[in-house]
Amino acid sequence: MDSTSSTEPRSDGRYGPSRPLPPIPVKIVIAGGFGVGKTTAVGAVSEIAVLTTEAAMTEVAAEVDRTGHTPEKTLTTVALDFGRITIDSEIKLYLFGTPGQDRFGFMWRDLVEGALGALVIVDTRRMNDCYPAVDYFEKIGLPFVVAVNMFDGALSHDLADVRWALAVREQTPLITFDARSRRSVRDALVAVLNQALRQVTPN
Amino acid sequence: MTERWSTLDPARLPPYLLTGGRARPVDESLAVEAQVLTTLAGRADAHSLQFEVRDIVELCDEPHAVVEVASALRLHLGVVRILVGDLVASGYLTVAQPRVDPSRRAEIIERVIRGLDKLD
Repeated sequence: MDSTSSTEPRSDGRYGPSRPLPPIPVKIVIAGGFGVGKTTAVGAVSEIAVLTTEAAMTEVAAEVDRTGHTPEKTLTTVALDFGRITIDSEIKLYLFGTPGQDRFGFMWRDLVEGALGALVIVDTRRMNDCYPAVDYFEKIGLPFVVAVNMFDGALSHDLADVRWALAVREQTPLITFDARSRRSVRDALVAVLNQALRQVTPN
Repeated sequence: MTERWSTLDPARLPPYLLTGGRARPVDESLAVEAQVLTTLAGRADAHSLQFEVRDIVELCDEPHAVVEVASALRLHLGVVRILVGDLVASGYLTVAQPRVDPSRRAEIIERVIRGLDKLD
């Protein structure tokens, strides 16, 4: 029976006070340098096509922009990959792949807030690219796992060397995975969540 | 002339045109994954709103994450955060459960792990 309001088009429960609760959103951030496999990894497990969206708008100080005379603002855009996995009737997991911190800090500060954890993808040929992510996540205490993407199925460096080169702490898991493989990416995400669980209940 | 406008892709407009020149949202804490829902007031007044703002209010009749709004409407995420913030301030949208309750964090993580285990 529609007893709420005559202006309601239909009373099927969605429009009134008995609307179903929205899902609980949780997220994992996937970080790493350009071309390291972030989009591939998100796409391997996402139930929707990976959407790359322009994410950041940043106010820039006048002296930074020497090209124009407008002292107000310039817009900086950062591409953001986004995917989704429906976990159960209540929880939706969002995955955000980001090239990292722009000069003004917009991206990670906003993305990382409330994240369960992060996966930092490493290409051993360009290890330095992921260092800012490792450094930042350690600094803010976000649980994370470092995952070496095995492009050719072979590891070009010993994992111990990678850990040393990136100065990754002993308690941070360092794994190998294949960004193209659904199971492999899933396992990497589970590794992130297990690390998150360890930091919620330390012992 | 109107035809020219109707074929304009909003994603190609300078983002600040849609936000009155602002680069930051009213509510800086609005998370990109926060679930946005149209209020009864928003539904009642949707017809009087225009363009992107109306699209958002209509879309969020079903809950959508902020980032999903951006994707569905092909709008810049930074723009959507600002417009959603405005619409929340004017009572047309509401943001539900922006964060996981810390006391439920372990339980939620365990459920996510179980959910991922079911992927094959």
